[in-house]
Amino acid sequence: MSKKGFDLFDLVKKVLFTDFVKGLTVTLGYNISKSITMRYPDEEKWVPYRRFRGMHTLNRDENGRELCVACELCAKACPTGCITVIPMEDNSGRGISDRVAKVWTVNVVRCLFCGYCEDACPTRALRLGREYELACTDFSCTLKSREELLVPQPVPESIPGGYVVKSKFERTPQGIKVVPELSKYKKRSI
Amino acid sequence: MPDIATLLEILLIVVKVGVVTMILFGLPLPLTWLERKVAGHIQVRLGPWRVGPHGLLQPFADMIKLLFKEDIVPYKADKLLFNLAPLLSMVPAFAVFVAIPFGDSVMVPFINKEVTLYISDMNVGILYILAIGGLSIYGLILGGWASNSKYALLGGLRSSAQMISYEVAMSFAAVGVVMMSNSLSLLEMVKSQSGSFLNWNIFYLPVGPVWFAIFLIAGLAEINRIPFDLTEDEGTLAAGFHTEYSGMKFAFFMLAEYVAMVTISVLSVVMFFGGWNAPLQVPVPIPPIFWFVAKAGALIYFFMWIRFTLPRYRYDQLMTIGWKILIPVALVNLLVTGFMRI
Repeated sequence: MSKKGFDLFDLVKKVLFTDFVKGLTVTLGYNISKSITMRYPDEEKWVPYRRFRGMHTLNRDENGRELCVACELCAKACPTGCITVIPMEDNSGRGISDRVAKVWTVNVVRCLFCGYCEDACPTRALRLGREYELACTDFSCTLKSREELLVPQPVPESIPGGYVVKSKFERTPQGIKVVPELSKYKKRSI
Repeated sequence: MPDIATLLEILLIVVKVGVVTMILFGLPLPLTWLERKVAGHIQVRLGPWRVGPHGLLQPFADMIKLLFKEDIVPYKADKLLFNLAPLLSMVPAFAVFVAIPFGDSVMVPFINKEVTLYISDMNVGILYILAIGGLSIYGLILGGWASNSKYALLGGLRSSAQMISYEVAMSFAAVGVVMMSNSLSLLEMVKSQSGSFLNWNIFYLPVGPVWFAIFLIAGLAEINRIPFDLTEDEGTLAAGFHTEYSGMKFAFFMLAEYVAMVTISVLSVVMFFGGWNAPLQVPVPIPPIFWFVAKAGALIYFFMWIRFTLPRYRYDQLMTIGWKILIPVALVNLLVTGFMRI
């Protein structure tokens, strides 16, 4: 408040509680507006964009052959050294070449999801997927093996993502899962 | 040996006291839920959501938590005062309701008897309420003093200073209402405001709204709610006077605070908004208690709304508002009211 003389306008404003009423209007507006809370585990779930870097996935080509040629470039590119690849020879047509991975594991606890491995991959076998619920109660889930990563993703590639969907909260003996209903989605700015 | 009628009267009073006490003990449960919901929605959140539908069972969960919490008495605390303080702040908050009328008389269907919706119609009701309500500050001061903690002591000191500053303004507001209604009895006050809403004291122009503003600001300060909750200023005093309290003792302080909020809303309704009088004559019969509860509820919402709108005042600002603004305005207003009542 300036000390320069008597401000009648200021006095009238104070007597009529103008600023107070303005503030109350703003908060009332927010009070009656819709909440922006995402009711995540219970009713809603965020489907990430395709560019999202979540859990690793190993892919197959259209004939069902593994794309991975066990070149070990991902293991070499990894800054934390969490990927282990042991190659072997296989002519049975499991992979796209006669060199396939005998062991392909990623230590998820050490992984920092930088995405260097997918950049290094020459055959686009390795991508970082959209799965992000990685918590578990023991160490069983920290080491993901090739067999687990070859399973198709719950969110298919055709869905662009970037929105909230209705979901179902499921409690199983294996743990807690939030299963999204991908058909019903709503765009929401966050 | 007193006769049967007298005994029945006494029994009726005991029942009424019991019912009012039960209601007041139960009220903080919905009020905490409501307060957290209002807080949530004003901050574009949801508020309690997961315990029960829309978080309705959250107060019960909180209550169970508070019941099972360890009851800590700090080292070198004054044990007697420390244990007494929550009761000292709670009992006056409840005792105030002896004089508050919730409605005129109603017919109770089963015993076929006119029952008045107030415990006692004191002819100096407003004086009694101000006096007893003022006592509850002892709980805060003694709680702060007995805790052996600097935060609690500072909170207690602040609350006493705040109480002294604002009790004056609040009493002036009460005097103004007494002048407008020509009575110290709350029942008479409500009766003087009957008819349409234009007879309400708040529409007694030009002094009514000013009295209401003074009463509301002073009342907010009396019950230690934001923007005047200097006594439990989280930013600077940890939690003020109840820093060291835990478990049920803390719950008693909270209970007293919520009951005080109800008291101020109910008093505002009785003194300024015509009590249980309907604002307009409506063709459908609506019980007067509905109007009373609706008005009080609206005021309680208003208090919560203010809480999440305004920031806390600084200590010197609090004193300035109390001594340099409210009291002079109240004095001038008293003069104007006096001239109007000649």
